[in-house]
Amino acid sequence: MTDLITRPLDALTGWIFEHLLQPAMYAAGLMDWAEDAIEWLEFGLFGVFSIAIVWLVCRPLEAWRPVEPVTDRGAIRTDIVYTLLTRLGLLPLVAFVFLASLQAWWEGTVADSGFVPPTLETLFPALREMPLLAFAIYVVILDFGEYWRHRFQHMFGWWWALHSIHHAQRQMTFWTDDRNHILDEVIAAFWFGAIALLIGVPPGQFPLLVLVMRLAESLSHANVRLSFGRVGERLFVSPRFHRLHHGILSVAGHGKNYAVLFPVWDWIFGTADFRRDVYPRTGDPEAPEALATGGWLRQQLVGLRRMGAALTGRGQG
Amino acid sequence: MRRLLACLLLPILLAARPAAADLVYVLNSTDPSISILDAFTRQELRRIPALREVHHLVLSPDGRDLLIADSGGNEILFVDPATGDVRRRERVSNPYHLDFSPDGRHLVVASLRRNQVDIYEARTLALLARLRMPDKPSHIAFRPDASIVYVTLQGSGTVAAISLETREALWEVPVGREPAGIIWHRGRLIVGIMGTENFIVLNPETREIEREIPVGRGAHTIFAAPDGRTLWATSRVQSRIAEIDPSTLEVRRIHEVPGGPDCIAFDPDGRVWATLRWARRVARLDPRTGEVETIPVGRSPHGIFVHPRRAEQ
Repeated sequence: MTDLITRPLDALTGWIFEHLLQPAMYAAGLMDWAEDAIEWLEFGLFGVFSIAIVWLVCRPLEAWRPVEPVTDRGAIRTDIVYTLLTRLGLLPLVAFVFLASLQAWWEGTVADSGFVPPTLETLFPALREMPLLAFAIYVVILDFGEYWRHRFQHMFGWWWALHSIHHAQRQMTFWTDDRNHILDEVIAAFWFGAIALLIGVPPGQFPLLVLVMRLAESLSHANVRLSFGRVGERLFVSPRFHRLHHGILSVAGHGKNYAVLFPVWDWIFGTADFRRDVYPRTGDPEAPEALATGGWLRQQLVGLRRMGAALTGRGQG
Repeated sequence: MRRLLACLLLPILLAARPAAADLVYVLNSTDPSISILDAFTRQELRRIPALREVHHLVLSPDGRDLLIADSGGNEILFVDPATGDVRRRERVSNPYHLDFSPDGRHLVVASLRRNQVDIYEARTLALLARLRMPDKPSHIAFRPDASIVYVTLQGSGTVAAISLETREALWEVPVGREPAGIIWHRGRLIVGIMGTENFIVLNPETREIEREIPVGRGAHTIFAAPDGRTLWATSRVQSRIAEIDPSTLEVRRIHEVPGGPDCIAFDPDGRVWATLRWARRVARLDPRTGEVETIPVGRSPHGIFVHPRRAEQ
């Protein structure tokens, strides 16, 4: 099944790299980055593919049972810009260029300390024979990490100043998933790096599962009146579950339903709201209008300014 | 009639097939896994899962273990080359390219991503020294007396020499944009300069580049055939495998092999096996006829090794 996705994608990646990208990099004197380039190409092509799948699944659902009518197409267009910048690898590429040296220095420093970062499979050797289970455990642990990162985004004033960009959207659709401040994305990368130091990075041979997770995250933002039922709501984050998190009374430290994939974390830590008939209006009433209706660049600048204000005590925290 | 012919030919075909065919190990770097191929049928016999990213491999001096480096997984797999069974795994920091010193005393490991070269005691795998290098240590080669290891620094565009006696860097010289593969050849170092179409010949005594060998854009790695009659070099951008005369260092013949040929191994019949990085395949090149056959493997195949099982019969 996985081969159904990887084989055609690999064939396309290989062809583009061999005939277009690598010759261009050679001509530009950039062969030092050739192996990184093919990874970015894979990332970008997978991004195109996943955007197409997400659109094919979510768009009909939004047309079928929308929670609210679409009144601000401009706001959706901004979210589409966020999605394209993130999923096609442009923002991650900028982060990579700035952070590659830092990463090499950090990994070298860790190596010099004598610590060899483990993987789950080295910690629990039985997992070597069960790569799918190993991947699933990685997903659960990383989702737990995401739950707490999300809690902290709402807890600390300076972090909320960045994250409120995500919450300011009043016209929430499946495109809203990637609406994040670039600095917030960098912090997320560091967060992930810290967890990776303890358990390693997950294996990369399950693109189908990555696709399903990406679909689930986008679907949770979709403008669709959809709940997964009494049991399902407790197993996976639904559009209903996550819309409640985006509700106008659920901003900053008053949040509920922080989970990204598995609601069990909200259940355990007392932040769950399983009312299945509640589909509140979304947005952050305290955020400046620019965060709701401004373009990508304006939102980035305002977010940065608000974070600075929060850090220096001049903001609203 | 066809059935009769098949019956008559079958015993001949069976007799022609070696009782135990050679095994070809292919490291699928981003799968990540190790494909084991039957060199005779060219079928994949099995696939060993790896942790994160397998790039290079080397046979231990006693021939007992095949060491496979998983850089992303921070470990080296010790595999029985005759069976493909994983005997043990050792935690090692980001092993990318690795080789044993000719005297068998040291195992030297280059870490491309962590800018380090580690010198281990071969027998115990005790870390003797870690040298911090400027930028992207890529491939390594030894002086035959095992006194010095040479490392290409892909990001710095240099070759560095490290003493295995003092375990200190001796010198570093610029050689060109993005040097990759390196071998010791008759008192000289031959280095693939990936940002150009040339391999360069470096005199390690004078540290001067004595000549260039144009092979094709993206000159990458070079290997000496076991019979010593040919050097085989790859170019990854122009997708070529070149035969080079070991005495004159002139290119005898160019084979156009699409798919980005990278590492090379040789079977006992003199055929050349090369990984094709961008095509999920390996190529089997017969130098006598120039015929190239490709065989599907996993994603981004890189290191390759042929274990000649016929020799064991």
